[in-house]
Amino acid sequence: MSTRSHPQDGPPTPFVEVEGLTKSYGAIQALRDVSLSIPAGEVHGVCGHNGAGKSTLVKCLVGLTRPDSGVIRVDGQAVHLHGPQDAQSHGIAIVDQELSLVPALSVEDNIFLGGIDVPMRHHRSALRRRARDLLDSLGLSHVPLNAPVERLLIGERQLVEVARLLARDARLLILDEPTATLSTTEIERVFAAVRELVAQGRSVIFVSHRLGEVFEICHRVTVFRDGERVATHAIGELDRPALVKLMLGEMEGAPSVTPIEDHHSARTVAMRIGHLNVPGRVRDFSLTVHRGEIVGLAGQVGSGASEVLRALGGLIPGATGACEVAGRPARLRRPMAAVEAGVLYVPSDRQGEGLFLHKPVEQNLTVIRLRWISRFGLLLGRRSRALATELAARVDVARDRLGAPAAELSGGNQQKVLLGRVLARSGTAVLALDEPTRGVDVGGRGDIHRLIRDETRTGIAVIFSSTELDEVLDLADTVVTMFEGSIVSIVPRAQANSASVLEDMTTRRAPAETVPA
Amino acid sequence: MRDAAASAMAPLRLVAARRRWDLPGALMAVVIAIVTGLLIYGAADTSGFLTVSNLKAILTATSLVGIISVGMTAIMISGNLFSLSVGQTAAVTATMFLYALRVDLTVAIAAGIALGLGIGAVQGGIVGFLGANTIIITIGAGLLQEGLATWMTNGNSVVPPSGSSSYTHLALPLFGVPFAIYVFFAVAIVAEFVLRKTRFGRQLYLMGENRSAAHAAGLPTALLTTGAFALAGACTGLAGVLIGAASANGSLLLEGTYTYDAIAATLVGGNAVGGGRGSVARTVVGALFIATISDLLLLRGYSTGIQILVKGIIVAVVVVLTNLRRGR
Repeated sequence: MSTRSHPQDGPPTPFVEVEGLTKSYGAIQALRDVSLSIPAGEVHGVCGHNGAGKSTLVKCLVGLTRPDSGVIRVDGQAVHLHGPQDAQSHGIAIVDQELSLVPALSVEDNIFLGGIDVPMRHHRSALRRRARDLLDSLGLSHVPLNAPVERLLIGERQLVEVARLLARDARLLILDEPTATLSTTEIERVFAAVRELVAQGRSVIFVSHRLGEVFEICHRVTVFRDGERVATHAIGELDRPALVKLMLGEMEGAPSVTPIEDHHSARTVAMRIGHLNVPGRVRDFSLTVHRGEIVGLAGQVGSGASEVLRALGGLIPGATGACEVAGRPARLRRPMAAVEAGVLYVPSDRQGEGLFLHKPVEQNLTVIRLRWISRFGLLLGRRSRALATELAARVDVARDRLGAPAAELSGGNQQKVLLGRVLARSGTAVLALDEPTRGVDVGGRGDIHRLIRDETRTGIAVIFSSTELDEVLDLADTVVTMFEGSIVSIVPRAQANSASVLEDMTTRRAPAETVPA
Repeated sequence: MRDAAASAMAPLRLVAARRRWDLPGALMAVVIAIVTGLLIYGAADTSGFLTVSNLKAILTATSLVGIISVGMTAIMISGNLFSLSVGQTAAVTATMFLYALRVDLTVAIAAGIALGLGIGAVQGGIVGFLGANTIIITIGAGLLQEGLATWMTNGNSVVPPSGSSSYTHLALPLFGVPFAIYVFFAVAIVAEFVLRKTRFGRQLYLMGENRSAAHAAGLPTALLTTGAFALAGACTGLAGVLIGAASANGSLLLEGTYTYDAIAATLVGGNAVGGGRGSVARTVVGALFIATISDLLLLRGYSTGIQILVKGIIVAVVVVLTNLRRGR
């Protein structure tokens, strides 16, 4: 981690330069007169709240959108980028926040798909060797080249996407929230790769909500607010509070860490999970969750934490084990059965499995409670609106967005809607939240954590999974660490610290391995 | 997972594309303008087009296909594409209706509708509960219905019992308008209500929009699929009753081109093939539109070949344009 070094001493030669970039969508000014220069061999951080203009800048740089005015220069030459292929031919490539892999194709095919440097006549074996090397360097040595991408976990897919980018041999790599779905050790692999690239004289634009990472990997950082570039600083000139202040402006301070309270002292059991097994994913998972308690399942991608929650939500028909909710045995074979038993699952794949993107927010908020907003099978419009309004207020989504398609909301607000639909529902005993703040910015994250915390005051228990250490330590009352499908440790929050949790997330439990040969 | 590949391609791109110049939208407007112009010109220029009896003829031609199309709309909205065997179901239920007239008219009507509902429900159940492919199952079901019908009737056509005439009311005009037209509009209104205002309808739309999200949210997806096909089957059964009453001669020949006409009407109305978006009203417009064009071509003396060709072109153009517009 101490390998950060500025690449050269003399005046840096700017590789990509942006001058006076302006872009508006209708009345919304997404970028105002933005100038920026990125020298070769620099990792340049881009920070800002949702809607600050980061995404628009990125879109301009990869040719997905044309700026209204302003110039983009590559090697001093003004260029007009007509699309990602075009940008790629100028040496600019992007890893998207949303994965752009083709699920049915193999890992290898995905890596070379759309790569313009792959000749029409090529030697498959050479490509294969290169792909293998790339995967190994990212710690994906266990992933076979011919595995279809859809079989990989979401974090593994992200790394394949990074591998694909590396295969393109680009000179400026744009990483847009590259770590949002990655676990701590995987992030280290990506960072190692980034350092390697920078050492070769390539440049990286690193867009991230995670300030810790910005400080770890970036040489300089540019902060955006309301479409304007607020400041660019060398990373050494800033500390965390200063950066947060730049991002938020003068209006509000950094979101505070949720206070940990021991309010579930009654210790009534909300849910007892006994010997849960998911073939190939989870081994013998047993846990007792109390009313009002928040249990965080901490683990890297592939630890089995997500699968535990999916099994609780009734989404894994092959799972075995016993489950007791509020003292009654529950068979969680199907999602419907889980909802009826009072276990509400919120998926991590917001767009794929969570929301009905083209349906209004109101319909998204009420989907779990259709029975409640109808009588004799007829929908009651007023009741639906009242429920949606109440939930929207609770999760702080503007009331006038109730009629808008969920797709038009920002990522943070989408996540709030997804959470909102399970809140304040009588009959809920346990909320199973799979990665509750994936891809959400700092402010939104604090809000979501507060909502979850508030929900437990009525006695509802929460069990969530996270690959992020900070999130687990911020939110959980009890920290359960998992590694390769098994529980490593269960500790109260007060006894957990980042070092101990991180260690448990990455190590096999010693005593359990004493199996007679 | 039909368009998993397409949807995995960064949604950012779609947003960017939508904000730009809406070319398919403009094309659509141009096409609509041209077609409307042609229709007005044709209407004014073709003798006999703008007469009460011709309008009645158009509505009559629309009504039977229309009733089936309304059911097809429920299947499409639920995200299960379409059924490829409604023609056979219509023929089989028509035959059943004519046979059951031996008992009583009411029983015969009920039998026709119930048989259609059952046939639909079985297909929907197989698709929903076993996760089978809609296209394959409905093609298979079509062949099965043909086979069973031929076997049970020994290949003979079924005629109403001698002396029975009660059923002819279903084929006669009421207040000067063919009875089937009333049924068509009634079915359309009821179906639109069911889709928009009931829990079942809401669930169908949500499932069509995103099946995995519907599943994760605890919606009864298998049951809903069964319901959508059952609804379509019941509509087809009702159409079968009217078809049987009009022909008084039940056989597989009644199958006609109902299957493809119903799919065409649903698509030309602009319902999303992938599900989640659309309405019965759209389908009604689609059915009326196709019938009007066919009627116009007929009156102007074009051959059957040309009529079919034009129908095909309309379906192709509308489907391509609606799908371009949606960007998926």
